[in-house]
Amino acid sequence: MTDSVKFSRRQAGIAFITGAALAAGLLAAPSARAQSDYPNQPITVIVPFAPGGASDFAARLLQPRLSEILGQQIVVENRDGAAGNVGMDIAARAKPDGYTLFLGNVGTVSINPFIFSSLRVKPLQDFIPVSIVADTPGLMIANPAFPPNNVKELVEYVKARPGQVNFASPGTGSVNRLEMEAFRREAGLDMIHVPYKGGAGPAAADVMGGHVSLMFVTISSGINHVKGGRLKALGVTTKQRVAQLPDVPTMTEQGYPKSVSSSWQGILVPAGTPEPIVNKLHAAVVEAMKDQKIRDRMAESGVIAVSSASPAEFKAYIAADAAKWGAIIKEIGAKAD
Amino acid sequence: MELFNELLLGFSVALTPTNLAYGFLGVLLGTIIGVLPGLGPVATISILLPVTFALPAPAALIMLAGIYYGAQYGGSTTAILVNLPGESSSVVTAIDGYQMARKGRAGLALATAALSSFLAGTLATVVIAVAAPALAEVALDFGPADYFSLMLFGLIAAVILAHGSVIKAIGMILVGILLGTMGIDANTGLERYTFGVPTFGDGIDFAVIAMGMFGIGETIANLERGEASRTFVKEVRGLWPSFAEIRSFLKPALRGTVLGGCLGLLPGGGPVLASFSTYALEKKLSKEPGRFGHGAIEGVAGPEAANNAAAQTAFIPMLTLGLPSSAVMALMIGALMMQGLSPGPQLMNQRPDLFWGLIASMWLGNLMLVILNLPLVGIWVKLLSVPYRMLYPAIMLFCCIGVYSIHNNALDVVLAAIFGGFGFIAQRLRCEPAPLLLGFILGPMIEETLRRALLISHGDPTVFVTRPISLTFLVMAFLLLIVLVAPMIRMTRQKAFEEGAE
Repeated sequence: MTDSVKFSRRQAGIAFITGAALAAGLLAAPSARAQSDYPNQPITVIVPFAPGGASDFAARLLQPRLSEILGQQIVVENRDGAAGNVGMDIAARAKPDGYTLFLGNVGTVSINPFIFSSLRVKPLQDFIPVSIVADTPGLMIANPAFPPNNVKELVEYVKARPGQVNFASPGTGSVNRLEMEAFRREAGLDMIHVPYKGGAGPAAADVMGGHVSLMFVTISSGINHVKGGRLKALGVTTKQRVAQLPDVPTMTEQGYPKSVSSSWQGILVPAGTPEPIVNKLHAAVVEAMKDQKIRDRMAESGVIAVSSASPAEFKAYIAADAAKWGAIIKEIGAKAD
Repeated sequence: MELFNELLLGFSVALTPTNLAYGFLGVLLGTIIGVLPGLGPVATISILLPVTFALPAPAALIMLAGIYYGAQYGGSTTAILVNLPGESSSVVTAIDGYQMARKGRAGLALATAALSSFLAGTLATVVIAVAAPALAEVALDFGPADYFSLMLFGLIAAVILAHGSVIKAIGMILVGILLGTMGIDANTGLERYTFGVPTFGDGIDFAVIAMGMFGIGETIANLERGEASRTFVKEVRGLWPSFAEIRSFLKPALRGTVLGGCLGLLPGGGPVLASFSTYALEKKLSKEPGRFGHGAIEGVAGPEAANNAAAQTAFIPMLTLGLPSSAVMALMIGALMMQGLSPGPQLMNQRPDLFWGLIASMWLGNLMLVILNLPLVGIWVKLLSVPYRMLYPAIMLFCCIGVYSIHNNALDVVLAAIFGGFGFIAQRLRCEPAPLLLGFILGPMIEETLRRALLISHGDPTVFVTRPISLTFLVMAFLLLIVLVAPMIRMTRQKAFEEGAE
């Protein structure tokens, strides 16, 4: 991984030296001065997943416009490993000066703290949320030959066959698994969980091949298979129907209002970052998310471009999201150590 | 006629100067990272993925694909010359390729590898063009139970890989399986053998073990032998295969293409499974299986054809269904999504220029690779005459860089060093590293598919015999076991002589 990483590290090194020199010279100067000319050096966005995934996609889409608004180069650095915990740990321990941003998502920030008890990072204490950027609804997909065509039929079908219907997921602690767990608790269904590894691809392939009946996927990984007729969609986890799949009813419409969830991505900064910088970043992210090109690009794959009204609103959003998933994880007893 | 028009469209896209240039850049990069140990296509494509954001979609995909199959060509080079597989799929090539090199036939081995790969690449391109959608359906029919039986068959076939003691090979396979179980368990989320180290949560990377066991282990072993043992360098002969030699590797290469092409369709196994099952097949078909492990040309031609064919057919599920069968294909899907294209069944109809352009570029890429690689054979062979004191520090350096580049983690380099020591000890004990690596790859897959198949069948084990695909592989595995065990009983007496003679 290296060209981009080395490059950014070297830059960080240079930045550190100039920063140190500046700090020595301006020791007595009020810190507000350093903040008022923020940003005066390149900003790194740490993505805790490999290139090519949903988080990387969001970061790369945001990169050019955010760079334009802030007048500084934005460097995207992929630090993947341990379900995103490696990158999150690096970001949490970065200097809180506004030059290291973290592209957090539902998995790292809301779910992992409940799954990995050895996780050192406490997202809501170690980070200051800036703004959400992408909202990716969950889509309940099934093999076209699976008899139920909507959630109502599904509930009847499963109730008549307790413990006989299998559902797949991209992993034990994945949001897609938890979405199904939440739904089946609400509906009182007995189904068997079949976990997969390596993203939604292998699991979706087995649903397509008819080996497993149904699963939740992010709308971006399911939308084309649904449009191409390879899979059918039973419901979507948004409050209103999604423009790209107007015929797919929401879970709420079908009587399951608790099944509203999202695989979101958002920008966070390490705790201790000065408030003026957080506010400046927030304004910049909100501005960037207004960009029509970004909105269109996201919409193509069913992702909704969003931003938070204030950092506090994003914080409240994360707190509610984490509380919801935390409760479900406790109920099903999923643990990674 | 439709096919002709589609191919024409493909070539009209692939032959534009820009796309040709990106295709060449891709295969060149692929060859380089293939030659360099440790640096693999996954890491390289990850690095270059953001760059392709700015390119038109066909150019981006053509370049990334070139890196992938280019690495299959390049990977055999170091495997043959210094017994250091640059790619996981060339582990098998190292077995006989390196022995050929030691016998002064390095040039022939390299040329065989390049020509077999080209043959396989050409045929696989034709298959993709003609039958991609139909083949993708076949891949979908494979359920977890079928994979389990296929992998089990593969694991038994892994024993054939060994040219020494069968018991030692089984031992190495078991060690490999144990190493493969490290990490967070997919079903329960429990940690296994992680010793509280977070990095071990994802298990050990294949390249760490391969670099350690082969690269570092071989270096230590050669230092012990000393410069004097390198007599083979001076008698380099036969850079170009003679007609008789081409005839002797043509059939193995064709068989490798077929087997590799089939296995490439399936997720998980891909090129690695393809190369070693071809090796096992060739050894079983051969009239003199004793030559294998001592420089048999079939042992280079078959696996090299297989891994290249598999690398190409792996594109079929990705292109026709939008399903990734490997980490590289998942990256390709990422590349498409960054381009604002969504991989899936409609891609072929929505963007025929992209689909057919990529297919045409594969054949052109293979052509470029063979043109690029054959003249290089002479230069590579000269590498063998580099004195140890210069060659081995360089190998060490590249191993360290390669291993470090996987996760930017220094622990991986330390681990590779430990596996280097282990590899040396194993070599002294006449335990071969190839079966260990196959156990390492197949073991976790067997476990995963076994548990998944039983989850789906709700604990009913008959699923393995009621599914026709699964049953077929189980029967084949059983037959293979008989073929393996029967001569073993006879050979026990013979072996006493053999070992005495060595």
